[in-house]
Amino acid sequence: MGRKLLLEKAHVEGIRYFDTYRREGGYRSVEKALKTMGPDDVTEEVKKSGLRGRGGAGFPTGMKWSFLAKPEGVPRHLVVNADESEPGTFKDRYLMEFIPHLLIEGIIVASYALGSNTSFIYIRGEYAWIVDILEQAIQEAHNNGFLGKNILGSGFDCDIHVQRGAGAYICGEETALLESLEGKRGNPRIKPPFPAVKGAWDRPTVVNNVESIAAVVPIINEGGEEYAKIGVGKSTGTKLISACGNINKPGVYEIDMTISVEEFIYSDEWCGGIAKGKRLKACIPGGSSVPILPANLLLKTAKGEQRMMNYESLADGGFQTGTMMGSGGFIVFDEDQCIVKHTYTLARFYRHESCGQCSPCREGTGWMEKLLLRLDKGQGKMSDIDLLWDIQSKIEGNTICPLGDAAAWPVAAAIRHFRDEFEWHITNAAEAQVRNFGLAHYADAREVVPA
Amino acid sequence: MVQFSQENLQKVDKIIARYPEGRQKSALIPLLHLAQEQYGWLSVETMDYVASLLNIEPIEVYEVASFYSMYNLKPVGKYMFEVCQTGPCMINGSDDIIEYIGEKLNIKPGETTADGLFTLKAVECLGACGYAPMMQMGKFYKEHLTKEKVDAIIEECRAKAN
Repeated sequence: MGRKLLLEKAHVEGIRYFDTYRREGGYRSVEKALKTMGPDDVTEEVKKSGLRGRGGAGFPTGMKWSFLAKPEGVPRHLVVNADESEPGTFKDRYLMEFIPHLLIEGIIVASYALGSNTSFIYIRGEYAWIVDILEQAIQEAHNNGFLGKNILGSGFDCDIHVQRGAGAYICGEETALLESLEGKRGNPRIKPPFPAVKGAWDRPTVVNNVESIAAVVPIINEGGEEYAKIGVGKSTGTKLISACGNINKPGVYEIDMTISVEEFIYSDEWCGGIAKGKRLKACIPGGSSVPILPANLLLKTAKGEQRMMNYESLADGGFQTGTMMGSGGFIVFDEDQCIVKHTYTLARFYRHESCGQCSPCREGTGWMEKLLLRLDKGQGKMSDIDLLWDIQSKIEGNTICPLGDAAAWPVAAAIRHFRDEFEWHITNAAEAQVRNFGLAHYADAREVVPA
Repeated sequence: MVQFSQENLQKVDKIIARYPEGRQKSALIPLLHLAQEQYGWLSVETMDYVASLLNIEPIEVYEVASFYSMYNLKPVGKYMFEVCQTGPCMINGSDDIIEYIGEKLNIKPGETTADGLFTLKAVECLGACGYAPMMQMGKFYKEHLTKEKVDAIIEECRAKAN
């Protein structure tokens, strides 16, 4: 049983409301920070904690804060990224829905550290009912003196506004999010300048994921060093994993990053095994854009070591034999799932969500979708596989923002690990329309080459 | 003539006040949501009205309204079923749900029933992958969909509309 820092109290009855949350020890980090620490001390604790951005990129949060420019007389902003849209990811929604005050508390402390008197939560437009939950929590925090002017007599003022997006995955990219916040299309900006220097309304801005900001609360309460003791290596603290696909217990789990992938999938504490007693075929462990792995490479690294649920172990082997922690969107496939069809749905998703600014992404995602549809429908040619590979390789690294990479990686990994399944869709086109390729050899023990 | 309700006009002032002086355009996306809540969709007249409220050019509204998938640039049914079809929902049977709704209402994705009651859409990931298959209906999500659940939802909508 791992430690829980974020969701420990998520099931306490009434925790959505201020009085219960406060009675359960809520808002202590605001008191501690505003009464006993300077803004830079707060940043220092976050640095010490080793917290890595929980949105997907894993960039150290404390370091991001320390880059914030602080020119005299220019307001600064904290913008919380609640535009959770990566297929497989639904962890921030859970946190905001069940324990919204944890996010509000984290925002107050982070805003104090960054000197943001007006902070924003940019939430995906479809999470419409969560806006009401957050606005109620903000109102309650105001009524109890934790927001507004001169919070707890510290002289620090802070207000939080919730802004809804309107259906655009790209707005999860921080500069697209800022464009959207300014009332524009979500076209990512060219960096530099980085948001830390020129962000919302040309002011220095920090954009952080919901879970990263919520993690600031236990970091301040317990101290950065204590937080860093949880987990392993550079994977400190706890991570929310949203598990879905063909498992017995889909849902949001908080893990301390010391458990193995195998335990996570099969233990009753987490996913509870593959649904309907079927066998594991593959998994995308960090949201749709990270590489898919066949069962054998998922459970053990290419070196034959047990693969663990943390940043380093999931990435072990690079993209050749590894994957990424990403956003923690954990998608599990049983033996009956078709990798070609699933990859097609992802390609369709990225084509739909490409903002259209950069040609490689705008055109490439469309071509990948068409080719994959053709393959899935049994009308593909052998050369289509190489063409797909060629297209994805020309998108990756050639776009303003990472959506291009995010669209390329799933296609590349599917071909890399499941090429024979793609080929079978061509050689056995008619059969592929009535049955799936099945588990094949993807779960077989791997031959480990001694180093 | 397009005109926000009194209640919405008060909200407009509050929303604009969130942003720095002269940056009232930032209120565009929230205002388009308000407009769509009031009218069900965004006509050119509605978008022009929003432009006038924010003192921006109409084109600045059109380009935003056409970028974001939640804005309806055509009238839609009273109830819109937006069924997620992306990977995690697909492997949990979303294709069957879309087909079932389509057959039951006799429309294809993207179409509206003749009585103007229902619109069916196949959409991309809504962030409910663990509760698949699912759809958005207005402000809320309907999750763990089955054919029986779909039947019940349609019945409920029809009853409410009568």
